[in-house]
Amino acid sequence: MWIPVARLPPRLRLSALAGAGRFCILGSGAATRKHLPARNRRGLSDCSPQLLPEPDFRNPPKKASRSSLDFKRYVTDRRLAETLAQIVCGKPNRPPHLLLECNPGPGILTEALLEAGAKVVALESDKTFIPHLESLGKNLDGKLRVIYCDFFRIDPRSGGAIKPPAMSSEELFKNLGIEEVPWTAGIPLKVFGMFPSRGEKRALWKLAYDLYSCTSIYKFGRIEINMFIGEKEFQKLMADPRNPKLYHVLSVIWQIACEIKVLHMEPWSSFDVYTRSGRLENTKRKEVLELLQQKLYLVQMTPRQNLFANSLTPMNYNIFFHLLKHCFGRRTATVIDHLRSLTPLDARDILMQIGKEEDEKVVNMHPQDFKRLFETIECSEDCAYKWLYDETLEDM
Amino acid sequence: MSVLWWGRGAAGFRRALPPCGPALVSPAGTLGGVCGPRRSSSANPQEQDQDRRKDWGHVELLEVLQARVRQLQAESVSEVVVDRVDVARLVPCSGWAQRLEKDQWVQRMRIQQLKANLQMQVQSGEFKVLPKHLQVKPQLLSKQLAMFLAPESSWEEQLPRVLQEAPRKLSLDVGRAPSTQAQLSGQQQKLLAFFKCCLLTDHLPLAHHLLVTHHSQRKKQKLLTLDMYNTVMLGWARQGAFKELVYVLLMVKDAGLTPDLLSYAAALQCLGRQDQDAGTIERCLEQMSQEGLELQALFTAVPLSEEEQATVLKAVHKVKPTFSLPRQPPPAVNTSKLLRDVYAKDGPVSYPKLHLPLKTLQSLFEKQLCVELASKVCVVSVEKPALPSKEVMHARKTLQTLRDHWERALCRVLQETKNRLEGEVHKGRFSLYPFLCLLDEREVARMLLEVLQGLPAPGESFTTLARELSARTFSRHVVQRQQLSGQVQALETYYRKYLHLLASDTKVPNPCLPRQYWEVLGAPEALREQPWPLPVQMELGKQLAEMLVQATQMPSSLNNPHGSSRLVPVLYHVYSFRNVQQIGVLKPHPAYVQLRETAAEPTLTFEAVDVPMLCPPLPWTSPHTGGFLLSPTKLMRTVEGATQHQELLETCPPTALHGALDALTQLGNCAWRVNGRVLDLVLQLFQAKGCPELGVPAPPSEAPQPAEAHLPHSAAPARKAELRRELARCQKVAREMHSLRAEALYRFSLAQHLRDCVFWLPHNMDFRGRTYPCPPHFNHLGSDVARALLEFAQGRPLGPHGLDWLKIHLVNLTGFKKREPLRKRLAFAEEVMDEILDSADQPMT
Repeated sequence: MWIPVARLPPRLRLSALAGAGRFCILGSGAATRKHLPARNRRGLSDCSPQLLPEPDFRNPPKKASRSSLDFKRYVTDRRLAETLAQIVCGKPNRPPHLLLECNPGPGILTEALLEAGAKVVALESDKTFIPHLESLGKNLDGKLRVIYCDFFRIDPRSGGAIKPPAMSSEELFKNLGIEEVPWTAGIPLKVFGMFPSRGEKRALWKLAYDLYSCTSIYKFGRIEINMFIGEKEFQKLMADPRNPKLYHVLSVIWQIACEIKVLHMEPWSSFDVYTRSGRLENTKRKEVLELLQQKLYLVQMTPRQNLFANSLTPMNYNIFFHLLKHCFGRRTATVIDHLRSLTPLDARDILMQIGKEEDEKVVNMHPQDFKRLFETIECSEDCAYKWLYDETLEDM
Repeated sequence: MSVLWWGRGAAGFRRALPPCGPALVSPAGTLGGVCGPRRSSSANPQEQDQDRRKDWGHVELLEVLQARVRQLQAESVSEVVVDRVDVARLVPCSGWAQRLEKDQWVQRMRIQQLKANLQMQVQSGEFKVLPKHLQVKPQLLSKQLAMFLAPESSWEEQLPRVLQEAPRKLSLDVGRAPSTQAQLSGQQQKLLAFFKCCLLTDHLPLAHHLLVTHHSQRKKQKLLTLDMYNTVMLGWARQGAFKELVYVLLMVKDAGLTPDLLSYAAALQCLGRQDQDAGTIERCLEQMSQEGLELQALFTAVPLSEEEQATVLKAVHKVKPTFSLPRQPPPAVNTSKLLRDVYAKDGPVSYPKLHLPLKTLQSLFEKQLCVELASKVCVVSVEKPALPSKEVMHARKTLQTLRDHWERALCRVLQETKNRLEGEVHKGRFSLYPFLCLLDEREVARMLLEVLQGLPAPGESFTTLARELSARTFSRHVVQRQQLSGQVQALETYYRKYLHLLASDTKVPNPCLPRQYWEVLGAPEALREQPWPLPVQMELGKQLAEMLVQATQMPSSLNNPHGSSRLVPVLYHVYSFRNVQQIGVLKPHPAYVQLRETAAEPTLTFEAVDVPMLCPPLPWTSPHTGGFLLSPTKLMRTVEGATQHQELLETCPPTALHGALDALTQLGNCAWRVNGRVLDLVLQLFQAKGCPELGVPAPPSEAPQPAEAHLPHSAAPARKAELRRELARCQKVAREMHSLRAEALYRFSLAQHLRDCVFWLPHNMDFRGRTYPCPPHFNHLGSDVARALLEFAQGRPLGPHGLDWLKIHLVNLTGFKKREPLRKRLAFAEEVMDEILDSADQPMT
């Protein structure tokens, strides 16, 4: 299963030749190869914002992580690529959506997608792959476009000058000729990719902020995201009162905002792991072993049409986030205790309105209960001051 | 007032009940608790004798009172029985019942009064009457030492024998004596502070109780250090209570510690007060010299007040009539090479002689003393006064009503908390009880309300607030302490003498630097109190803040106060999420903030230390004396909570600090006044729309407003998101403007307040040696406007090139000739001189 790749790092070629894995995992070690441009070192340890060139004084940059847990994952198996293409593109007789593929790497999945008839925009953050990707789309009259861009660094929240591979969504979408569509309309485009292995949580938070505030990519409508996500984060994302240990703020935020479907599951054991010292065969490092036990889930996250139907809007979503963070700050406490420091309104009265007992615990509240709670307070009319929240409580 | 007293006493009794057991629930029992030790059979006859001798005058009265109480109690028991019968039978005879009722009432009142009297005497410390449940007798681990607890001979003879006892567990004591405060654990710091504070608030029996309970448990005993024993011993020594002192000494030995100078000083002081025979004292002194402690050091190394020193000396004189106090060593001089010229003996000394006569300076001193005794300053705000419309007046009235209400509520909560905390101590646990007793309840309540008044709308971080509260408590306590202990009078005397050095119309025989002069005057090193350890500060602050949260409530809708609206708290604990941190914030109710804004009260309240001084500051003579007259001032500013530097400064030889101390004193002695013409101009701008270009911030009404405040619900989410961004931007600008405006408001208000005064800015320095003025709001460190408001109170003629340098400075400020040499800048100034003069004459056109 040899793939014609213009200039692949030796490690990658090795894995492709061996054909043992269905994915190729490129350890950060590969990024230190001399022939890679220096900038890509940063690019490869992908989206973690602490590596942004702009200094952010509020969160001092941690040391760039060079551990063997820094992976870049690519789909290299053709059969898997075809399966995935089928899943993502849906039924063949429907008009295909525009597809943004994040970090396609060697382009095996891209090919499969193109074959399935999709229109693909490849956003690649590693310049090494770009010539090869461009060569893929030569005879397809514009069905494939390749852009040097890191999807997870579109509209960085830290502000400051935006340098590639970071990009502003405005510019990117203008280039692609994508129009804004209203929230209640259909899905304008799909995104396919994998969450960066290290910064899954960070990426989820960034997307959540963008989604609730209708900014960045979500300014253009309800964009559907199809992403591979690690098992741990996946379980947390889908958690609800039934497994209270994993239930946390992100689960509530995402379950309210999106319909989440699992499209596919792929075990890590079918992967090869490469680190700086070469192929990892039998490791004793606990974290790596744990990682290898996990599975990768392909989840589809479609923003709900009725998300902003009631009083939760992009105007006040930050209060909602604050409420959630507050509640999960002490998750074993009762909701009423939290409400007392969130709103000057009568907490008991509000709980009664949403039909909850006074001693309801935070972890027993379903995601929709939180939304209802928020909307009840937001709609209450007997007081001019509904919240104790203040913009200054949040740093953004 | 008496009712309040009674309430207090009653609460005390209730608390006293549980440990006494169910048998003492009747009023007889509670009273027995109060005068327990006197009647208890365990009391030593000798001790009673001794006690009788001591407070002879009062004992008679007490006994009479007790007898009467007993009598009344006996009556009240029968009365209870009658009462029960009465209820059971429902006696129809009304006349008899009425008489009975009346009798009962009279008796009850009598008992109450007696109890109140007794309680009052107990509280005021006139009698050494310990409530029964406070432990006095220690439980000793060593049996040999325990024999001393039941002595055959008098307590006086016990003392030297106890001192001679070899400490138990010799091996332990070397490792167990941490020398500095920093080496103590948090718990130990808290305990030590507790004992010291108990001494200050006359709660010595409580301190003793805690010491005994800790000593009797092996685990807790490890926490105790010699310092703690010494503190309690010193307390007993001041009261001349010999038995208790020996008890503590026994515990010291039992814990395996060797008494040090402080312990001997306490013992001797006690002997001095008791007027003991020479034999005991002699043996005591012998033991002391055997342990290698010098008698001289007793008077040099131990911090004692004058009166205490005299008592110790009295005791020593009995044995050694020839002994005299060691001479004060001559003031040492700094030997640093750099400062050699400054401290050279022969040359004339240069120090700032002020331009004011002695009389003026003295009256200024009086004024400053008043300010510091009040510990706060009310200043009229220079904000444009709000028109006294109906709305404003209503808001002010509401606010005042609420405040009165809150003050009462705070006093109540404070009382309850104190009761609860006292109970904690009775159970043998550390609590903040003595710290809360330092200040009067009303004063604490007012202080808390001032803090509430100044709380910013977005809230204040809880820890900052806690620190602020404990700092204010401490500073008020220090001022009050000095007032009570007569240090203020001493200060007054010395300061008046000191002014002779500075005043324009007086001369002193040997002019020297202010610090040296102050030292020559021989002002006693005031026993400045050490700041409390950090754990205590934080705990006290938190406790106070928590009380404020509990006590303050307001109606949920302020507009219809007559309607039945429920009460909501004014303060809320909220959290701010920064990255992964969660920061607790205390936030006022938005309605309260709104009310405060509407009321637009025309006065600002500052702490005394935030306002420049009205007289020359005290010369810096040590790391903790100098600057403000009474309020504690730090020589070195640091981050909150750091104590290491303080310890280093303490251990530093005094001469090494002279350079720094004298430099700060010189800076602080510079007199300032307000430049009235500039202030008028600035105020004119400030009360109009401000002028950011000229450095006068604009009022909040000038803040940018978003294009449309509200969108219909049906608007598109994207549009809402846009509006949100705009709103956020506007709010950010408004917040920035607000903080600039507030800073300017404080500065200009203080300038207006001090317009016709001469004032001084005491200085301190940071760890690099940079000097800063202590008053934060109004000083010469600041923007051009801030500096333009000030001028030297005593003008001096310019030097030969002075005017040229002024011209160059002016051109520098314009920034036009940044890259030109000085010559050209000067030339440019000459060139535009007409315009410069014109703008000076008509600045606003």
